[in-house]
Amino acid sequence: MRALSIARTGLAAMCAVSLALGAAGCGASGSDEEIAAAAPAPTGDVTMVVPFGAGGGSDIAGRAMADGLVSSTPRLNINVDNRDGGAGAVGYSYFLAKAGSPNYLLATETSLISLPLSQDVEFSHRSFTPVVKIGEDYTLLVARKDSPMDTCAEAVRQSRTRRVLAGISGAAGPDNIVFSLLERRTGAELDRVPYESGSETLAGLLGGQVDLASLNPSEVAEQLEAGDLKALCVFGDQRYDYPELAGIPTAREQGIDVSFAQFRGAIAPGNVHPKAAKFWVRAARRYIDSRAYRDYIRSEYLQPKVAFGKDFAQYLRANEALVAEVLHK
Amino acid sequence: MIENLLLGLSTAFTPMNLLWCFIGVLLGTIIGLLPGMGSSTGVAILIPLTLTVEPVTALIMLAGIYYGAQYGGTITSVLLSTPGEAATVVTTLDGYQMARRGRAGAALAIAAIGSFFAAIVSLLLLAGLAPPFAELALRFGPQENLAVMVLALVTMVAFSGQSRTRAAAMATVGVLLACVGVDAGTGEARYTFGNINLLSGIPYIEVVIGLFAVGEVLHQIRVGMAKPIRAGFRDLMIRRQDVRDSAGAIGRGSLLGFALGCLPGAGTTLASFIAYGVEKRVSKNSKQFGRGAIQGVAAPESANNAAANANFIPTLTLGIPGGATTAVLLGALTVYGLQPGPLLFAEEPDLVWGLLVSFFIGNVILLVLNLPLAPVFAQLLRIPYGYLYPIILFTSFVGAYAIDNNFFSVWVVFVFGVIGYGMKRFDLPMAPLVVGVVVGALFEKALVQTSAIEDGNLLMIFTRPIAVTILALAVLLMIGPALMRRARALLGPTRPREDREDEETHV
Repeated sequence: MRALSIARTGLAAMCAVSLALGAAGCGASGSDEEIAAAAPAPTGDVTMVVPFGAGGGSDIAGRAMADGLVSSTPRLNINVDNRDGGAGAVGYSYFLAKAGSPNYLLATETSLISLPLSQDVEFSHRSFTPVVKIGEDYTLLVARKDSPMDTCAEAVRQSRTRRVLAGISGAAGPDNIVFSLLERRTGAELDRVPYESGSETLAGLLGGQVDLASLNPSEVAEQLEAGDLKALCVFGDQRYDYPELAGIPTAREQGIDVSFAQFRGAIAPGNVHPKAAKFWVRAARRYIDSRAYRDYIRSEYLQPKVAFGKDFAQYLRANEALVAEVLHK
Repeated sequence: MIENLLLGLSTAFTPMNLLWCFIGVLLGTIIGLLPGMGSSTGVAILIPLTLTVEPVTALIMLAGIYYGAQYGGTITSVLLSTPGEAATVVTTLDGYQMARRGRAGAALAIAAIGSFFAAIVSLLLLAGLAPPFAELALRFGPQENLAVMVLALVTMVAFSGQSRTRAAAMATVGVLLACVGVDAGTGEARYTFGNINLLSGIPYIEVVIGLFAVGEVLHQIRVGMAKPIRAGFRDLMIRRQDVRDSAGAIGRGSLLGFALGCLPGAGTTLASFIAYGVEKRVSKNSKQFGRGAIQGVAAPESANNAAANANFIPTLTLGIPGGATTAVLLGALTVYGLQPGPLLFAEEPDLVWGLLVSFFIGNVILLVLNLPLAPVFAQLLRIPYGYLYPIILFTSFVGAYAIDNNFFSVWVVFVFGVIGYGMKRFDLPMAPLVVGVVVGALFEKALVQTSAIEDGNLLMIFTRPIAVTILALAVLLMIGPALMRRARALLGPTRPREDREDEETHV
């Protein structure tokens, strides 16, 4: 899928070169950006930047939003552009340079908050224009079926007496936040093994390299159903409503005061025209009301906790305070 | 095994895939033929061309370029004594001598036949061995991966074309370059100097394009053009006797090539050199070697083709490149959103088997193309470099841009083009650098994970039997040749002359 979007722009690049050489042209593609810079609404093709590689949760979310926005808004065309690298930093930094343009969106998630707090990057959530939060996601603490740990409380207890290894995807990512919270609130001690992605972490857990992992329900649904993995608890305020997940107790029920929701949504670049911001919020409202949105939420086991524009900005501030508490030890 | 091959056949035999396979091997032959273009370059700069098609089709074509280039490289080795491809360097020794005696056609034909036979043998071996390899690789944890990375780096150095010191130096530079970017263990940015493009590390496909395409072209401009020996259709007649004489060489070359090609980091060059060395030792015709012995063409040509196929074992099952070209193919896999590794066999069986079966189809096409058409291809050698090089440079830069639509890629190609020219000038090998960059990142990840799992005690790796076996193999590769030489010297100077020659071919 990514290939297609690349090919399109790749062809555009070739055309640009051949234009320069005086060969036959194939449509203007270069000057969109300058025209668009101060415009109150998108003109021409819009780019949905996904700061992670193809196939992951962000990629799925980005493509679902792009498709949903296109089908609920007439005359809108959105191309998805995966700009991965640096655990998301490359994509967000690229997006930072698009300030003012109504022709860009970015499929955002918790690294919008965690990256500025843990790494030397030039952006924070204040650099962008929040458009919509499409849902939240609580991770599950999972272990292999033959693990001596059955609950999160037991995992915490065992970690005090023996070495317990926890796989995390990305050394400074949201997984690390969850485990740090767990350690702060309970005095547990978990040794982290960094992996590159959720699927790699899952493979490490299944392969017996680590004891625990904190993964999204959509990442482990198959293994839970097959019985290869068991869920010890969910790090959320309440249990999931989905029938296949409803049996998993929350950490709070087990006496552990840890709840950490990760969010997904879309942001526009900073300093966009107020009308452009309004345009995107309106388009997002139509998407949220669509069937495509409900299907996406269900297939990814998200909680449909939606916020638009200013409300999303307020959520981000609160989320930042919580994450800052964890990361600044 | 049978149903896997059938699955592969059903994937590879679609008109679309056949067409792209044909395009791939044809382009591969041409690329192998052109001085300054090797299979790594060809694959790297043509990746953007494949972005519109299905991943399996793209891989079929890119792999076609890889083994097609082994055929094309032979043509220049024989007619020009200028190998178009590192893996055909050793073919110049006897191939060019045959051409000077008016037997260019026989040399090209036996190379094509040998390559074809090797492809068939290695396909069967691949089909039989890849699944158990993948099965074994499933049990690999970070500790085993760490051992494999060590093996890859050691192989690269131990069997590099020229001096080991230079190869080791370049592999080290590669590993150090791989340190640029976000640190796997802590998430800190290293050596990025505030440049966001460097956060994800130095992109290695661009490095390959820079070193191999731009650097080579700059180098060739300085060296100048060589005049090819004319080969007419008439010369192509190969005598039955020739085939009979080469049969043993082809068989040995194929098996040896396959075995060596399975090693991560080995590439195809090593296989051709070793096959030549061995053949020289065992052949009845060994006195003729270097003076136009047909076995001296048949053995390395079979070996490099078998190795090109076998290279896909570490690449597909472990996600570790077999050589510089498969390193680029590995990059291509991730561009298509595929995760190379043991799970690939389970998750994408039609892709894997379609690709493997396409090797067979591609080699049939190559045999048909090369037996009658080698002189036609040879005409390409008459294209003045003044036309050729601008095209290569143009394709390199546009291709680099199209990979990620990022102008940063173009700068990387430019910088590494200049570096590549310098490396050529000072005779520093490029393949170890590329493999170093690719393996370096994987090596560090495995190191960090192993360290985290074993609580900082890396010696714990010696408690893992598979890892120990792999490390032992690495040690053997490193000190084996030296030990053999020492042992032979101790046993008495029975065949001193041959010893020296052996060393020559081993370097």
